[in-house]
Parts: sequence; structure tokens; C-alpha cells
Amino acid sequence: MKRVKKPVFFIIAVLILALTYTAVFGVYTQNGDTKNTWIKGVGDIRWGIDIRGGVEATFSPADGVDATADQLESAKAIIELRMVSKSITDYEIYTDEANDKIIVRFPWKSGESDFDPEKAIEEISATALLTFREGMEYETQTLDENGNPIYQTPTGTTAESIILEGSDVTEAKPVMQQNTTTGEYEYAISLTLSDEGTKKFAEATERLKGKIISIWMDDIMISYPTVNSVISNGEASITGNFTAASASELASKIQGGALPFALQTSNFSTVNPTLGLKSLDAMVLAGVIAFAVIAVFMIVIFRLPGFVAVLTLLGQLAITFAAISGYFPFVNSFTMTLPGIAGIILSIGVGVDANIITASRIKEELHTGKTLDGAIHKGCSNSLWSIIDGNITILIVALMLIGVFGPSNILSKIFGESTTGAIYSFGYTLLVGVIGNFVMGVFCSRMMIKSLSGFKPLRKKWLFGGADK
Amino acid sequence: MKKFKIDFYKNRKIYFGISIAVILIGLICNFIFGAKLDIQFAGGAMIKYSVDGEVDSNEIAELIKNETGRTVSVATNQTIGSDAYQITVSFAGNESVSLEEQKSIAQSLSDAYAERTFGVIESSSVDPTMGAKFFQKCLVCMAITFAILLVYIALRFKKIGGLTAGVTAIIALVHDVLIVYFVFVIFGLSINDVFIAVILTILGYSLNDTIVIYDRIRENRKLEPTKSTDALPGIVNKSLNQTMTRSIMTSVTTFLALLVIFIVASVYGLTTVKTFALPMMVGVVVGCYSSLCIAAPLYTMWFVNKAKK
Repeated sequence: MKRVKKPVFFIIAVLILALTYTAVFGVYTQNGDTKNTWIKGVGDIRWGIDIRGGVEATFSPADGVDATADQLESAKAIIELRMVSKSITDYEIYTDEANDKIIVRFPWKSGESDFDPEKAIEEISATALLTFREGMEYETQTLDENGNPIYQTPTGTTAESIILEGSDVTEAKPVMQQNTTTGEYEYAISLTLSDEGTKKFAEATERLKGKIISIWMDDIMISYPTVNSVISNGEASITGNFTAASASELASKIQGGALPFALQTSNFSTVNPTLGLKSLDAMVLAGVIAFAVIAVFMIVIFRLPGFVAVLTLLGQLAITFAAISGYFPFVNSFTMTLPGIAGIILSIGVGVDANIITASRIKEELHTGKTLDGAIHKGCSNSLWSIIDGNITILIVALMLIGVFGPSNILSKIFGESTTGAIYSFGYTLLVGVIGNFVMGVFCSRMMIKSLSGFKPLRKKWLFGGADK
Repeated sequence: MKKFKIDFYKNRKIYFGISIAVILIGLICNFIFGAKLDIQFAGGAMIKYSVDGEVDSNEIAELIKNETGRTVSVATNQTIGSDAYQITVSFAGNESVSLEEQKSIAQSLSDAYAERTFGVIESSSVDPTMGAKFFQKCLVCMAITFAILLVYIALRFKKIGGLTAGVTAIIALVHDVLIVYFVFVIFGLSINDVFIAVILTILGYSLNDTIVIYDRIRENRKLEPTKSTDALPGIVNKSLNQTMTRSIMTSVTTFLALLVIFIVASVYGLTTVKTFALPMMVGVVVGCYSSLCIAAPLYTMWFVNKAKK
């Protein structure tokens, strides 16, 4: 048998413990008042609204209006803008073009005891109020999470003098056009105004030539172009340092103020955060006790391989937590829900099984009278394929769930985009857990058992499940 | 080391009998009690309020009926260890409740009970068409997953009659799904996304169990020099008895872990988690049973009957 070197056990064990420690507690440094997160721990996991409380709502155009994809995007842009203005940063939003639906989820912060979910949903889905105003006087200036300024609440002349409203704009779209002075092509937003809008805009541009006309959505200023010339034909364009993305974003917002339909709330559900937090505490407690029970059981029944199994299960859990919290820079953090926890339980079950199959196979071989090395070698090689087959079938199930219930999925054409994230979350944690099991339960566990069998004091058949002699 | 000597093949009729009896009882219960389709699938609405004192359920039901014109059933429970009560308002029918309606209910409640404070704990309202779509999607997903699994098993176990192995493995899966479904019916648990999560978990679990057994059968058939079908029942029995220790150990560990979760959830009063852990515990037992007593004997029967012809 090819021996695995003695230090291998300690190297893997230290790696597993280090991974577990950092994945659970994270790595932070304190620099004055700012806390720098180097590695995200369990505390950074984003919990789903079923656990920590929150609101989920589905909006659709009222009166069965069939909205186009662009109109839905505009409506989505408006909702996003309102999330920003309510300083809700960790929201999720999906549009479902096949069914004309917009699905929004956002957390209910535990500090906000006076939070009114019905009012919040109503405000988010209210018909957008788009205004073109004179000047750009605003009350407050704050920074969003990317450091861009947000100007809020018009005051003075800007508050009083409204030039155009949403209904005056017929269309807003991003275009590429040639700059009349430099001759270069650049991104811009082209506006088409209604007849009445054309009249009002012609009058205003004449009066305000060289001055600013600001554009507001509700009480947030989304643009403040300077009037370059009098526009009397109702065809205006906004130019500036736009990129393709920023031009279509602004066009979407303006178009959102001119949507030909109102949004109605077709589904909504809310969970109070105190209810959610209580279940989170209980789940953590249950998880710790369940892990302890499994650990005792495995060590009592399978002795040394059982001890190795507990270490590798810890490693598998650490990999799962890491994949959820955003520990690895290349894996995005993931929203964890109750079905997600179910996925972790199943993958732990599969991990336990992989270890039990190997350990009981070694035990079997020892009882047929093989030497320790022979039994370990045979036990490992004979159980390998059965573990891999079992894991691959579960991998298929996990991939199907992710594929079908993901935000954009293989059945999108028939059923539209995802209507619920719960099953997707189950598939994701299961997938990660099974991958973790390949690394830990299959690879590391074998290396560690073989490495441990090289130590003289441990070379007893009893420790590997053999007869007590 | 303890060695099992159970003749699974000879006892197959007893096992099949037990399974058929359980499924029949389940079907009868299904007709008598009916499955409680959650509003998530069927559409409908539910609101849970917390209130800082006792209120009368019938009065509230009457109040909401006057306000919205819809029949509701109201249940109140006292929260353990406090004066607070929880009121669950379930709306009859499959129609969702609009935001305006929910707001007017909250308004009329606080008008009627001026001295009490009502707060929304949980609410959900689902349009019936969306629920139905989600349900269809789950079924389509299950069908595709079964098809892919069948192909994988058929390819991997080609040497020992892959298609038969695949079909019998899936029969065992359907058996498990049915029994877990009956657990939901008998305990009056609603069919919602928890149900889907439980079913999926049991599918994965039971399938893994069956695959491990087939793997052993494949190994033992390779060792056996004779290719005659007469030897098959013996080989299958030997394989099942060899994998017994592992099957039982794995099931016991998983069962214990779920039991811990169930107990903690009961202590903390977490209904969702409880309704998740209970059918899972049943599923783990059934999944282990079906791999040993349904899938493998069926697989053997297939070949024995084919040889007879």
C-alpha cells in the first residue's frame, strides 16, 4: 500500500480548523472607527426574510395591461430608486417578463418597531411622480453606498416652478448621437414630448436658456441638465458624460414617470423580525446540539475513523458557510432561508454517510482477517464508487433545482422568472454541501485515515473497528 | 462484528404487503381528510396579528366580515409567558386580499379596540393563478429530474441491467414521496414550500441509499463467477446484509439530528421547523426501508421473472 506521510493528518487537520474558525468568526481589523472585513464570517450571512423578517411583494400592471419589457424595466428602475431613497440597500428585485410581474424582497430591520409594511409596499408601488423643475435647489445631500451624491427634496424656486410632469413625456430612450462641437459620437437620452409638453417646454427653454432644468423622480433629483438651446419641436436630448449603462438607466427612470399603467400589488407577505430572530437562535442551538450528537455517535461507533469523520464534517460545514457568507472572493454571498438550512442538513447527512460507508467497509475487511494496511486500502478503494455514485445523483437533483428555480432559469420560457427563492436556496446549499463532501468526506477523510495509520500507537485494529484483542 | 442474515428476497411479499397497506391507509385518509393546500399553492390570504390583551375571536370575525365582505375564520392563542395574544385571520376562498383591504382591517381593529395595540406579525396573500403556476412548475421539475436520474442510473449500472435498476429505484422513490405526503395529510400539515423541501430531501436521501446498495450488488455480481439468474437472489441478499450496518447507522445518525431539531423547535414553538422535522424523520425511516425492502427485491424479481419466461 502506498503510505500517506505522517504529517499529512496534522496539516489537513490544521487547515480544516483554520478554515472553520475563519469561516465562523470571520477576520476583521479595527482601524479607528471603521471595521474592515477581510474575511466574512457567519455573522455576515444575509438571512432571508423568512428568518430575519421582511417583506416580499409582487407587483403587476393594474387592470390587466400587457406591459412591454422596456416598460417593466422602467417600473423596476423606479422601485430601485425608491429603495435607495428609503435607504434600503439589501433588497432583491426581479422582473418576470412572461407574466408581467415585478418581485421585490427587502428586510424588515429589527430596530424599526414602528415599521409599517403595508405603507412601505404602497409607497414603493405608488405611481411615479416625474417632474421637470426650474433650477436645482435641494434640501439635503447624502451619499449612497457607492459614494454618489443623492440630492433630495426640492426647495425654493425649484419646489415652486414645475415645468413638465410625467404625462408630458411620451418617450425617453438612450441614443448615440454626434456631438455638434467635437464631432464625436456619444451617449445621450432622447426625449419625445406630448403636444402640450412641447408648448410648455418651448416656453421654459426660451426663458431658462443657459440655466438648469432639473429632473426629479418623487423627491429625488435624477438629472440636472443645462438648457443649451430653445426646444420648440418637442424633441429634446440630454447629453453629458454618459456611458451606455448610465444613459439607459436615466432613460428608464424618466420613462418610468411616463408609464401608461399603475402598479397593483398581486401578492405580498410580511414576517415580523422578532419572530424571525427567535427562530434563528433556535436553529443555531439545534444545529450545535445535533452536531454534538452526531460527533459522539460517530466516535463511539467508529472510533478513530469516526473521529476523522467529525473533523471532515466540520470542514464540510465550514465550506458551506464560506460559500454562503461570501468568504471566497469569487463566490458571491447568498441569501440564506429556512429551506437553505434543510439543504445543509441533507448534505451533512450525505457527508455522514460517506464517512460511515468507508468506516464500515474498513471494519468489514478487518473482520475478514486482513492486515490493518490491507483493510484500510481495500475499504477505501471499494467504497469510493458507491460514495461517488450517491453524491452525483444528489448533485443532479441540486443542479436541477438551481436550474429550474433560479432567478433566471431553464423553464423561464414557460413559467417566467422565479416566483420564489426558497427552493433555489435549498438547491444551492445542497450543491455546495455535496462539493464540500467531495473535498472533505471523500478526499481529506481518506488521506487522514491513511496518515494516522502510520503512527505506531494507533496501529491497533480495535481503533479502526476491528475485534477487541 | 454483528452479521445480519435476513432473507430480503424471500420476505418480499410481506414488505410489499406492508407498503401497499400503508399506502392504502394513506389514500383513505387522503379522501377523508383531504390535503390542505397552502395558500402558497392554492391562493388565498392569511394575516397574523399580535395584540396586548384578550380579544374575542367571533367579534373580530364579524368585524372583518363587515369591513371586507369576506368570511374569515379567526383563531386566538395566548403567547406563552406573557399577556400577549396572537390572532390568526384566515380568509375563506382562494382570492387574495388587497393592500387597501388589509389596511382597512387594521384600521377597523384599532377603532373597535381602542385600548389595545395590534401589530402585524406575519401576513401573506397569494393570487390563485400564481400559486397554480408554481405548483405546475414543481411537478415539471420533478418529472425532468426523474428522467435525468433514470438516464444516469441506467448508464452507471449498465452491467447489471441499468434500466431495471433505474426503474426500481424510482418506484422506491415514488413510494417514499407518497408516504411522506400521507404524513402531511394525516397530521393536517399544509402543502407548501416546506413540503417541497422535505420531499426533495427525502428523494435525495433515499436515492443515495438505493444507489449504495446497487453498487454493492454490482460489486458482488462481478465477484460471482456464475451469470445464472438463479444465483441472483442469493447475491442480492448478501449485498443487502452487507450494507445493512451502514444503512442503519446512517439512518440513525440522521434521525437523531432531526430529532434534536424537532425537540428544540417544539420548545421554542417554531411551527415551520417542526412541520419540517417531523415528516423528515418519517421520510428517513421510509427511505431506508424502501431501499432495502422495495427497490432491491423488485430488482431481483424482474430478472427472476424474465428468466422464467
